[in-house]
Order: sequence, then structure tokens, then C-alpha cells
Amino acid sequence: MKKLLLTVTAVAIGMTGVGLYASPETDQAAFVNYFTKKFPDTPKEDFVNGVYSIDAASREQWIEIEEFPPYELAIDAGEEEWNTAFANGKGYVDCFGEPGVRGNYPYWDESRKEVITLELAINECREANGEKPLKYKRGKIADISAYMAYASRGEPINVEIPNDEALAAYERGKEFYYRKRGQLNFSCFDCHGGGAGNLVRADKLSPAYGHTSHFPVYRSKWGGMGTLHRRFGGCNGQVRAKSFKAQGPEYRELEYFLTYMSNGLDYNGPGARK
Amino acid sequence: MNLSLIKVCATAIVLSFASFNAAAGDFSAAWDAADAKRKEAGKMGAEWRDTGKMLKQAKKAAEEGDEAKAMKLVAKALEQSEDAIAQYQREGNLWAARVPQ
Ligand code: HEC
Repeated sequence: MKKLLLTVTAVAIGMTGVGLYASPETDQAAFVNYFTKKFPDTPKEDFVNGVYSIDAASREQWIEIEEFPPYELAIDAGEEEWNTAFANGKGYVDCFGEPGVRGNYPYWDESRKEVITLELAINECREANGEKPLKYKRGKIADISAYMAYASRGEPINVEIPNDEALAAYERGKEFYYRKRGQLNFSCFDCHGGGAGNLVRADKLSPAYGHTSHFPVYRSKWGGMGTLHRRFGGCNGQVRAKSFKAQGPEYRELEYFLTYMSNGLDYNGPGARK
Repeated sequence: MNLSLIKVCATAIVLSFASFNAAAGDFSAAWDAADAKRKEAGKMGAEWRDTGKMLKQAKKAAEEGDEAKAMKLVAKALEQSEDAIAQYQREGNLWAARVPQ
């Protein structure tokens, strides 16, 4: 009985903690509201364009860049890779059916009890067919992902949270997002929520709403393509936190949460950024 | 070089070696403790970016005989991990207040 009482009290205390037990739907509505209020001049569907959705000056430059997009080579390379058979004669098409399936990821896999991302699925397709897995941050995996993203442009972001275990993964991703970390003591949201629109050195900070829609991305600073988890690692490192492994559980759950926050927007990858 | 000078040099070398060995014991215990703390922070997902690097540099400094530098780096790494763990614990109560309502 004493134990039960303790549990009940603990739960009651937990419930009063702000934000902890809000449903994902409520979370998302508040999240969207936060950004649309903060940037009232930005049409909702434009948040998929990152910092260019809130910064007229750099937007013009970016529109020019998009005329001859630097990610085009990656799309071509990805298409070629897609059409090249594995040593066993099979190909990506045997795993995915068609390239335009970006919109199915990330998802909660009920039997494996983990979040599956597009890049993870690409490598698992390779391994199932006797091919070596690719490195996760750049290179060939970004090419294939770029080709698939391109074929999926206009697909709605619609991440689902089908059960309590998926909800727990979502909650872990959410906690990751709002926790301050690193020597500089910043949370993701400190920069991409409260700080969105501010300058960090020469960079204007983009709003988090729409953040995962356009990956992989060609980034001038990288001089090439990079995946979403490469970006996560870079942002952790910036605040002098140790980054996590690309496609490890932490970043996959972070992707799950952050993509859910953009539900209702459209996929528009690959993208070009400074 | 005369014989007495060689003797002096040899004594100096032996002496410094002995004192280095004693300090090396201290160093390696201090290094182990700092590395354990780093791992503790790591398990929480709270490790900072440069802590591991500092510990590597400390090892290198010790190997090169720069004891003072080595110990200083170990102390700094330990402090970072303690701060990282404190940050993690503090944030346990604070993060949720940042979620837009
Ligand atoms: C110190 C500030 C800072 C923090 C903290 C930070 N970022 Fe960033 N982030 C940046 C900067 C600067 C850029 C590049 C400019 C931009 O697009 O905002 C960026 C870019 C991004 C982008 C790419 C946006 C795009 O349109 O291509 C994503 C996604 C992202 N960050 C996610 C995160 C996540 C997730 C976290 C927490 C793990 C995080 N960031 C923490 C500064 C930060």
C-alpha cells in the first residue's frame, strides 16, 4: 500500500511537470503556433526552406543558386546507383519498390521496436543483398538519399506514433531536443526556437519548424552533400557537446520527434544551404 | 667531459627518473579517475566534446615528461565531466519548461 501511495504521488508529481505528458498532437500544435507567431510574415508551407523562409536578403541569393542547384550531381549519381544492380543481381528497387518513398520515413517498426530512417533502410537493403553498408554522413548514401528525396518531392510529412513504445521513443527525442548540453550549455531549441532569426557568427539561425524536410542537403560550407545526422552531429559539436553516432538510437529518435513536429508540411529535398 | 661531470649528470638522470616514476603513479591514477568520470558522463549522453581529447593530450604530455601540463589537463578533463554530469542532472528538471505550450 505504501508503495502504491508512493507511486501515485510520483505520478501526480510527474503530471505537474510542464510539457512532460502533453500528447504529441498538442505538442505539435503548440510548436507550429510558436513559429507562426514568431514569424508572422512567413507562410506556413514556406518553413521547409529553412533560414530562407525568414531572411529576405539571403533568400534571393538562394533562389539564384536553386536555378543551377549544386545537389543535381548527387541526384544523378544517386539515380545511377539506384539503377546499378548489386552483385547478386538485385537492387534497391527490390527493397523499396520505387524511389519516391521518402514520405514513409522515419517510422516506428513494431516488431523491431525502433525508429527506422531512410538511410538506415538503405544500408539494410544493401546488407540484406550482400553489399557493404555505406558510411552514414556523406558520400554515396547522401546521393541515393538525394535521388529518393527528389523522387518524393511534394509528399506530405506524416510521421505516426502508433503505440506507447513509439511514444516513448518520441518522448526521448523530444527530451533530447530541449535539454541543454555541451560546454556552451545550449539546447537545440535555444538556437532554433528562441534564437531563430538571431545571428550566430555569420549565420542566421533557422526555425526548427520544417527542419527535416529537405535533407540530404548540399552545403557550401561542407563543399558537398550531407545527411541529416551529419547536421545533428555538427550542431552538437558547435556547442561543444560530444556528438552521437549517425544512425544510432539517439539521433534516430531525435529525427522521429523533429520530423513529427513538421507533420503536414511537404518533403522538398534535396536542399541547398550555405 | 670529465669524469665528475658525467657522474653528476648520471645522478641527475637517475634522480629525475625516480621522481618521474613516483609522479607517474599519481598521474596514472588521476588519469584513470578522470577517464572513469568521462565515461560516467558518456553513459548519460552528457559528455562534452573536448574531454576525451584533453585526456589524450594529457597522456601525450606525460609521455613527453611534461608532468605539470599532464596533470593540469587531467584536472581540467575531470572538471568538465563533473560539470557535464551536473548539467545533466540540472536539466532533468529544466528541459520540459522549454517546450512551447
Ligand atoms: C549554437 C546554436 C545551435 C544549436 C544549439 C543547434 N544548432 Fe542547429 N544550426 C545552427 C546553425 C548556425 C545552423 C546553420 C544555419 C541554420 O540553418 O540555422 C544550424 C542548422 C541546423 C539544421 C539545418 C537547417 C537547414 O535548413 O538546413 C538542422 C536540421 C539543425 N541545425 C538541427 C539542430 C538540432 C537537432 C540541434 C540540437 C541537437 C541543433 N541544431 C542545435 C546552430 C545551432
